[in-house]
Amino acid sequence: MLFLLITAAAHAQKEMPSVSINSENNKSYNVKNDFSEKDKLYVFSFWATWCVPCINELDAINQKYADWSKELNLEVVAISIDDSRTSKRVKPLLNGKKWPYTILLDTNQDLKRALAIANVPYTVVVKNKKIVYIHNGYSQGAEEELYAKLKTL
Amino acid sequence: MKKLLLLLLPFSIGSVFAQENDTIQENKKDYGRVYGGFESNSQWYLNDKGTGVNQDDEPINGKPIRSNNYLLVNYQLGGFSAGVQVEAYEPNALLNYNPGFKGTDLGTYYASYKTSKLELTAGYFYEQFGSGMLLRAWEDRALGINTALRGGRVIYRPTNNVRLTGLYGRQRSGFGVSNGDIYGFDSDFNLSSLFKWEASDLSFGASYVGRYEEVNLENPTFDNLTGAYSGRLNFIHDAFYASAEYSYKDKDGVLNAQNKLSNNFVKPGNALLVNLGYSKEGLGIDATLRRTENFKFLSEREPTTVDATSSTLNYNDKVLNFTPALTKQHHSNLANIYVYQAQTKVDFIGTTIMKAGETGGQIDIFYNFAKETAIGGKYGTNVAINASSWYNLAGDYRLAPAEYDTKFFGVGEKYYSDYNIEVKKQLSETWHTAFYYINQFYNKEWQEGGDKVKTNIVNAEAIYNFSPTRSIRLEGEHMWADADKKNWAGATLELNIDDKYSLYVWDIYNYGNDDTSKQTHYYNVGGAYRIGATRIAANYGRQRGGLVCVGGVCRFVPESTGFTLNISTAF
Repeated sequence: MLFLLITAAAHAQKEMPSVSINSENNKSYNVKNDFSEKDKLYVFSFWATWCVPCINELDAINQKYADWSKELNLEVVAISIDDSRTSKRVKPLLNGKKWPYTILLDTNQDLKRALAIANVPYTVVVKNKKIVYIHNGYSQGAEEELYAKLKTL
Repeated sequence: MKKLLLLLLPFSIGSVFAQENDTIQENKKDYGRVYGGFESNSQWYLNDKGTGVNQDDEPINGKPIRSNNYLLVNYQLGGFSAGVQVEAYEPNALLNYNPGFKGTDLGTYYASYKTSKLELTAGYFYEQFGSGMLLRAWEDRALGINTALRGGRVIYRPTNNVRLTGLYGRQRSGFGVSNGDIYGFDSDFNLSSLFKWEASDLSFGASYVGRYEEVNLENPTFDNLTGAYSGRLNFIHDAFYASAEYSYKDKDGVLNAQNKLSNNFVKPGNALLVNLGYSKEGLGIDATLRRTENFKFLSEREPTTVDATSSTLNYNDKVLNFTPALTKQHHSNLANIYVYQAQTKVDFIGTTIMKAGETGGQIDIFYNFAKETAIGGKYGTNVAINASSWYNLAGDYRLAPAEYDTKFFGVGEKYYSDYNIEVKKQLSETWHTAFYYINQFYNKEWQEGGDKVKTNIVNAEAIYNFSPTRSIRLEGEHMWADADKKNWAGATLELNIDDKYSLYVWDIYNYGNDDTSKQTHYYNVGGAYRIGATRIAANYGRQRGGLVCVGGVCRFVPESTGFTLNISTAF
């Protein structure tokens, strides 16, 4: 049974689930339909204010974001899974760090659950509404591996 | 359970063939998709002469191999979706898990239908109203929490600026549900587009949660139905933002020290949460104030006794609302020894310790020293300052007969404080460094019983990339504590290879313990392999006994030694 399901999943071309969550500016976004510009790469990076490798990853991408954007049509969407304990820290933190990303707040982890994400950092790359790449974890320097992968998608 | 899985079977076969058909047929038919995840956390507990842990004694009781497993499978076709979560705690659940999680069974199931305006769900669902002060149904596997509601929910979004939610359900507890019937209504309105504001945002919301449970007292002085009401306001203007949320709970029986209700101790509850902030590029300031009085909202009034010293409350079970500790969540091992837990419940422990809730606040400041400045250097420097302080409510307290009368302003006994600073600096392409200083006060006497502890913690961390994608991380830390277990020292060494393999070894050493037989090393060695959505991690080492906390909610774990295996994947 489990084997069948996994085989099924391996063959199916995955779409982003249709979940609506708010940005840090309180605007509602549907993660499937509102990030669907043709051939654009959307890098959904799941993070939390208390997750050090997550912040290191978003800092590292920030250092190179301008260069990457010149070569590829891409957008980084940083999805915070902070719950109401720490979600108020998201906005001052991203400004304190000068992050240019679109920030979404998955406060009750509806999107995290829909994608069965166990741990952050976790990266999902979407192109033409299809999930084309998934990676979990981050170690210093791994943003270069991500960029090399993005160039092939 | 088997029937439900069988129901899903044709769908999964459907999608196996879907792909093959796609390549042949021009007019492809949509068979939907199957997605989900699997997570397994296992432990093999061993004997350890160093800590005195024996497999045959409490709490292992001769069952050293324990494993928690979760399989989540969803099927979606157009607006329709359905799913199940099967959970297996075999041969036993990890130590000190909620005892309701036992054996293998269907944990949750749901079916839902969604259009652009309407969403209908039957079965188990997760939900949060506002900040969760009245209602949060959620899951945290590390803590053994799953408080999903089983019933039905309707969400209606007539426009982009209005969301209305109505629900009924019973709260999950173990593989069953608790006795209270829960009714909920929530509304959210965004007014900025109505006023055609560009730089501002104004929204408000109102919620109601009712819990119906028959009271087992003669001539009860409170109602079977307990209502709770909440209003919230959220305002953003350019770099400024502010929000406030006020909640009120009808009068209801208050639990005494034996977790029993009586007709003589009946009180309403209330909670106020205020948040203010200013944030622009390079700078962020945020302040949160919260006051909660008698504000633990349970889906069943009286907790069930688990053993002589614990009840379902100790496992965060049958709790409807979410009032996490508003303090910084540290990643340092030593800064997580004395962790604050929000004191929202009325708790009369003795003649000197009587709690009616908590009041206090937290401030955060984030600042970026720009690149090419004196402090910023070539890559910029990030500084984060955080301070929090929490107290009992000011007022008069009497143990017998139990009574209290609180004041809105002022503070009572101090529960906790944490003042800390974090500096992160990249020195070159290959060197990243960070430094932390943390000062804590933990009133263990009022929270768990024991000493009042003052700590000073320093932590320094460096990451060196010896190739662009290979790095080594070294972290050293020390804690000076004036009471309880006194001083600790710790170090971590971590090797990361190509973002696939991680290997680490760390140790924290309670060298300052006054009892020399308890000057223990808690050493751990392990590694992880990550590819795509899959992560496999193994660890061997000693687990320090105490609170393990995630997101301000804690679970007590006993001291143990052994092997751990964690597997997680998504499909």
